[in-house]
Amino acid sequence: MLILEFLAKRIAQGILIVVLTSLIIFTLLRVVPGDPVRLIVGGMAPDNVVEEVANKMGLRDPIIVQYAHYMAGLAHGDLGQSYIRPVSGGVAAGGQYVDPTKSEMAPVADLIVERLPLTLQLGGMALLFALIMSFPIGLAGGLHQHGWQNTLAFGVQSLFVSIPNFWLAIILILFLSVKLNLLPALGYKGFSYVLLPAFVLAVEISPFIIRTLTTSLGEVMQAPFIDEARVRGLSRRRIIYSHALRNAAVPLINLLGIQLSTLIGGVLVIEYIFDYPGLGNLTVVSVLGRDFPVIQGIAITTSAVFVFINILVDLVAYLIDPRVEI
Amino acid sequence: MTVDISLILEARDLTVGPPTGAANVLDGVSFKLHSSEIFGIYGESGAGKTVLSRALAHWLPEGLAYRGGSVFFAGRDILDRSAKTTWRIGRDVAYIGSKPQSSLDPTQPVGVQIAEKLRSVRPEWTTRDCHDRVIQLLTEVRIPSPKERYWEYPSKFSGGMMQRAMIVDAICAEPAVLIADNVTQPLDVTIAAQIVALLHDLCLRHKMATIYLSSSLATLGQFGGRTAVLHRGRLVEEQAFAELIRAPRSDYTSRAIASVPRIWSTSERPMSRRNTTDEPLMRIQDAHRSYRARKRGTFNTYRNILAVRGVSFDIMPRENFGIVGESGCGKSTLTRLLAWLEEPDHGQIVLGGVSLRTLTPQQLIEKRGEFQLILQDPYNALPPRTTVGRTIEESLRIRGGKGLRERVMAAMQEVGLPGRLYDELPNALSTGERQRISIARALILSPKLLILDETLSALDQGEQAKLIELFSALQDKNDLTYVFISHDLAMVRKVCTRIAVMYLGEMVEIADNHELFFDPQHPYTKALLSAAPTLEEKPFDPNDYLLEGEPPSPIDIPPGCSFASRCPKVFGRCRVETPRLREHKAGRFAACHLLDEMEDGRTVAA
Amino acid sequence: MTVISTDVAVPEPTRTMSVNRRILAAAWGTRSFRVGFFVFVTLLLVSIIYPELSSISATKMVVKDKFLPPLFLGEKWSWIHPLGTDQLGRDMLMRCLIGLRYSLLIGIVTVVLVFLIGCGLGLLAGFKGKWWEMIIMRITDAQLSVPMIILAITILGVSRPTVPTIIIVLALSGWPLYARVARSAAITERGKEYVRGLRVLGATDWRILLLYAAPNILPPIAFVAVLDVARMMIFEAILGFLGLGIQPPTPSFGSIISDSRKYLINAWWIATSPGVFLAVALTAINLMGSTLEKARNRIYGGA
Repeated sequence: MLILEFLAKRIAQGILIVVLTSLIIFTLLRVVPGDPVRLIVGGMAPDNVVEEVANKMGLRDPIIVQYAHYMAGLAHGDLGQSYIRPVSGGVAAGGQYVDPTKSEMAPVADLIVERLPLTLQLGGMALLFALIMSFPIGLAGGLHQHGWQNTLAFGVQSLFVSIPNFWLAIILILFLSVKLNLLPALGYKGFSYVLLPAFVLAVEISPFIIRTLTTSLGEVMQAPFIDEARVRGLSRRRIIYSHALRNAAVPLINLLGIQLSTLIGGVLVIEYIFDYPGLGNLTVVSVLGRDFPVIQGIAITTSAVFVFINILVDLVAYLIDPRVEI
Repeated sequence: MTVDISLILEARDLTVGPPTGAANVLDGVSFKLHSSEIFGIYGESGAGKTVLSRALAHWLPEGLAYRGGSVFFAGRDILDRSAKTTWRIGRDVAYIGSKPQSSLDPTQPVGVQIAEKLRSVRPEWTTRDCHDRVIQLLTEVRIPSPKERYWEYPSKFSGGMMQRAMIVDAICAEPAVLIADNVTQPLDVTIAAQIVALLHDLCLRHKMATIYLSSSLATLGQFGGRTAVLHRGRLVEEQAFAELIRAPRSDYTSRAIASVPRIWSTSERPMSRRNTTDEPLMRIQDAHRSYRARKRGTFNTYRNILAVRGVSFDIMPRENFGIVGESGCGKSTLTRLLAWLEEPDHGQIVLGGVSLRTLTPQQLIEKRGEFQLILQDPYNALPPRTTVGRTIEESLRIRGGKGLRERVMAAMQEVGLPGRLYDELPNALSTGERQRISIARALILSPKLLILDETLSALDQGEQAKLIELFSALQDKNDLTYVFISHDLAMVRKVCTRIAVMYLGEMVEIADNHELFFDPQHPYTKALLSAAPTLEEKPFDPNDYLLEGEPPSPIDIPPGCSFASRCPKVFGRCRVETPRLREHKAGRFAACHLLDEMEDGRTVAA
Repeated sequence: MTVISTDVAVPEPTRTMSVNRRILAAAWGTRSFRVGFFVFVTLLLVSIIYPELSSISATKMVVKDKFLPPLFLGEKWSWIHPLGTDQLGRDMLMRCLIGLRYSLLIGIVTVVLVFLIGCGLGLLAGFKGKWWEMIIMRITDAQLSVPMIILAITILGVSRPTVPTIIIVLALSGWPLYARVARSAAITERGKEYVRGLRVLGATDWRILLLYAAPNILPPIAFVAVLDVARMMIFEAILGFLGLGIQPPTPSFGSIISDSRKYLINAWWIATSPGVFLAVALTAINLMGSTLEKARNRIYGGA
C-alpha cells in the first residue's frame, strides 16, 4: 500500500519533470541562432520556399503554440519526424530539396525504439563490468582504512578518473582490435561488439563506485552497532556481510542514480567512437545535422529513463533501509 | 585447596592501557562475582567504567590492550589463549550498554536481529525455538504487543523500549554473567526507574550474576547489594551499599556521596523577590503549538503533532520560574514560543503589556532586547568561527551600533570573563566560559527576562554553583526575571521560587517551591519526584508511584486526562473528560479529577 | 565516550585552528596532495610561460616537417620538435601546451562559475525555503534529468562554439549538482543551534546567511569542486573531440586526438602526447581533489 502510494506520487512528479525538461530543451532549440528550415530546404532554396515550408511546419508560430502541438503529439506517442532521415535509412543529401512534411521521413519514435535496446545493453554490461572491477577493491579499501588496501583503492580511483574515455577508447581500439585482433570494435554485428565499449565505460564509472564504497563502508564500520555486534557474539563474517555491507549499500545505490547521467554522457561519446548504433550515436549525428525533432525526442526519452531509474533506486534504497524517506 | 563453586567471574589485578605505555586506564582491578549476585560498581564519567565492562567481556576498544592480570570465568582464564576454554562471547557473558538506540543495525527488524544473535551463539537451538524464545522474553520485559514489535525497526522504538529489547538480546542466550554499563543514563527518570526495577527482577528470576556499573549512586541504591567504587581506574573500596553510604572508607567516596544533590533534606529555600502587587512581566495565554508531519509514504496526508496544548501562566517580575518535565513533554517547544522563535498557533504571549504578535519586524528586533534566551548546548550555541568579543558585540551591531569594545568589555567583566579572551575563538574555551559568553551577549542588551534552557545541566557541580551565584547577583543588580527550563529536579529545587510541571504538552501542576516538593498534588508530580535520583528518604514511597508504560505519542492523544494511561490512581472519569488546571489551594494549581472529586466530596460533606 | 578517559586524553594542539585550515593542513600533510600540487603548478606555469617565450607557432604548417617523431625515436627526430610534429608539420609540444592552456582556463573558470551559480541558488533555496525552494529545486531536478553532455552538445551544435560560449554552456549544465549540495548544507546549517542563538538576538535571515552560514558551508564544497575542474576539462576535451569545442586552427586536446585517429598506426605520437598531457594534468588535479575530500570527510567525521 505504502509502495503503491509512493509509486503514484513519484510517477506524477516524474511526469512533471519530463514536461519541464521538454520545455527547457524545446525553448533552447528555438532561441539559439540558426534556422533549421534553411537546413531542411538546402542553402540554395529561395527565401519564399523557406517561408512556405516554415509555415507549413508551424515553425513560425509562437514557441508556446509549437510546444502545445508537440506535447499533444507526445501524448499519443508521436514525437514528430526527423528532418533529414528518410524512412529507408541514410541521411538525405544536404543540397537537394526534400519535403519534410511528406511522410517518407522516419518517425522519431521509431528511430528511438530501434536503438534504445542496444544502448541499454551497453549500459547494463558497463555497469556489470564496473561492479565486478570495483567491488573487491572498494570492499578491501573500506575494511582496511589504514592499510595498503585503502591506498590501492585510492590509487586505482585516481588513475581511472583521470583517463579521458575517448582517449582510452582509441588506445584500446588500436591495441586490442587493430594490432592484436582480439575483439571487434567498430559497428555492431553481435554481442561481442559490446565488450570493448562496455569496458571503457566501466573504467569511467568504477572510480565513483570505489570511492563511495570505500567511504561508506569505512563509516559504517565505525558505527556503534558494528562494534557492539562483536560482544553480542556475531562472527566477523556475519557482521560484514549481513550488516556492514547492507548499510553501506544505500549510499552506493543512491550514487548509481546520480551517476546515471555521467553514464549516459559517456555512452554518447563511446557509441560515437565505436560507431555503435545506439541512442548516443544517434544523438551526436542528429546534433551535427541539426535534426531538432530527433534531439528533442532523445532528450525526453533519456529524461524519462532517468526518472524511472531514480524511482527504482529510491524504492530499492527503501527496501534495504526502512528509514529512507519515500 | 577448596574450590568455590559459586564463584563465576573473577578479575585478578586487571590492568588495561594503551599498548605504547602511557597511563593505564585500569590499574590492578580485582573483585569476585558469585552466581546469582548483583554487584554494583560506582564511577563518575571518565573513571574507566566502560573500559572495565569491556575488559571483562574480552572486548577491548581499539587502542587499548591487556597489560596484566587475568579474568577467570568459571575457573578458567579467558584472556589466556592457550588455555582451552569453552567460554564464548555473547553467550556466557552478555553486555548491555548505555546507547540502546545505536546498538542494533537500523536496517533490520529488532526481533530478527535478536534471533540472529541467538542462533549465532546457540547453534544447537532450532530457528523455531529461537524465535519463540525471543517473543517470550519480549513479553517478559513488558514490551506491548511483542509479536508485532518483533518485526519493527529500531528507529520505531523509544529509548526505554529499545533498552528493554537490548535486555532481551543480552539475556536470551542464558548467560551466566550480565554486565550492565550505565544502562539508564540516556533515559528519563521515570523510565529509568522502570528499567532498574525490571533488571533487578530479571537477574533474580534468571539467576544471572550481574555487574551493574553506574555513574549514579542513587541508581545503585535501588539494588543495594555489594558495591564497589571505581576511581581513576582503581577500585578504591567495596562494601554493602548501605554501609558504603553510612560509613565510606575513602575520601573520594565521601566526596561523591556529598555531591549527590538533595531535594528534601536541605535547608535551602530560594527567596522570592517579587511583590504581590506587581503586574505580570510576561503572560502566556492559552498557547497552542502543533507541527504538521507528513504521514510516511503518503501524498498529502498530514498528522498533527500537538506539542503544546493550551498553556497559560504568568511570570511575575523578579521571580525565578521553573518549568520541569521529561523528554517529549513540550518543554522545548514552549521554550521556542517564549523566546518568540516560533509563533503559537493560537493564544498569545504578552510582554510588558504588549502582545508580541502585534509587533512589526523592526519593533520586534527592538523588543527582543527585553527578553533573551540562553541556549542549552554551550558547544553549538555560539557561531564557530567568530571571536568572543565579536560574538558579544553582534547583539549591538544588529541594532546598528559601532565601536563598542568598551561595552563588550564591561559585559564580559560583569559575567566574570577575563578581558584577554576578547580575541579568542570559543572552541578553545571551557563549558562554563562558553555559557558566560552566551549570558554576556544577552545581558549587553539589558533584558528584563532571561529564559534559561537547561543552561546549568551541562556543567559540573562546582561550576553550576558559581553560575547560580552569578545569576543571583545579576538579579539583584539588574532587576532580572528568570525562567529556568530543565529536567533536573534538584537544580530547580535549588533556584526556582515557583515551578510548573509539564506532561504531554500541558501544565499539570504549578506551585511554589516548597509546596511542590513537599506536598505535590498531581499524581504525575509525585511519580516524577519519587523517581528523582537522590539518596534521601523520600516523603512518599516510590513503589506506590512507579509508573507503568510510556507517555502516549503526541500524535494520538487519547481523550480524557493525558496522564490516564499511566496514572496509578486512574478512575472512570479520567478517560472521558479532560481535567482543567484549577487553583485548589491558594497559589497552587493542578489539573486532576481526583482533586476535584475530593473537593466536591468536601463540599458535599459540608 | 567514556572509553578514552580524561587521564589519557592529550590536549590536541590543532583544536584552535578553524575546521577549514585543519582540512587544508591535513591534506597538505599527505604525499599525494603535494605531488598533485607540484605537478599541477608546473604544468600551469609551463603552459603559461613556454608559448610566450618560444618562437615556434602552434598553428604554422610546415609540410616538409610533417610526421616528425619525438626525441630519440625513428630517424628524423629533431631538438626543435621534442614531441614531434603532426600531419601538417605543426609542433606537437606547442600544440599540446596551447591545448592545456585552454583546457585549464575553461576548466577553472567554469568551475568558479558553476560554484557561484549553483551555491548561490542552493543557499537561497535552503535558507529561505518555501516557494524559493520549490521553484529552484524543480528546475534543478528537471535539468539533472537531462545528462549535461546532451544539453551541452545540443547548444553548441546549433550555435557557434567559442571559448566564452563553451564556458557558459558547461557552467549552465553543471550548476544543478552544486545547488543540491549547497541546499542540503544550508538546511543542516539552518537547523544549528548558533543560528537559533543569532535569531534570538534579533539577526535577520540575510544577516545570518551572509555573515555566518555561508563561510561555514562554502569552503567544504569548494574543496570538492577541485575535482570538478578535472571533470570540466574532460568535457572540454570531449566537445573538442566531437568537433564542438574550440574551433581549428586553435588546437585543443579533443580536436588533436580526433584528427590523429587517421594516423594512429603510422604516427602514434600525435594521439598519445595530448592524451598523456591531459591524463597527467587530470591526475594531478584529482589527487589534490580526492585528498582534500578525504581530509574533509575525516575531519568532519571526527570533529
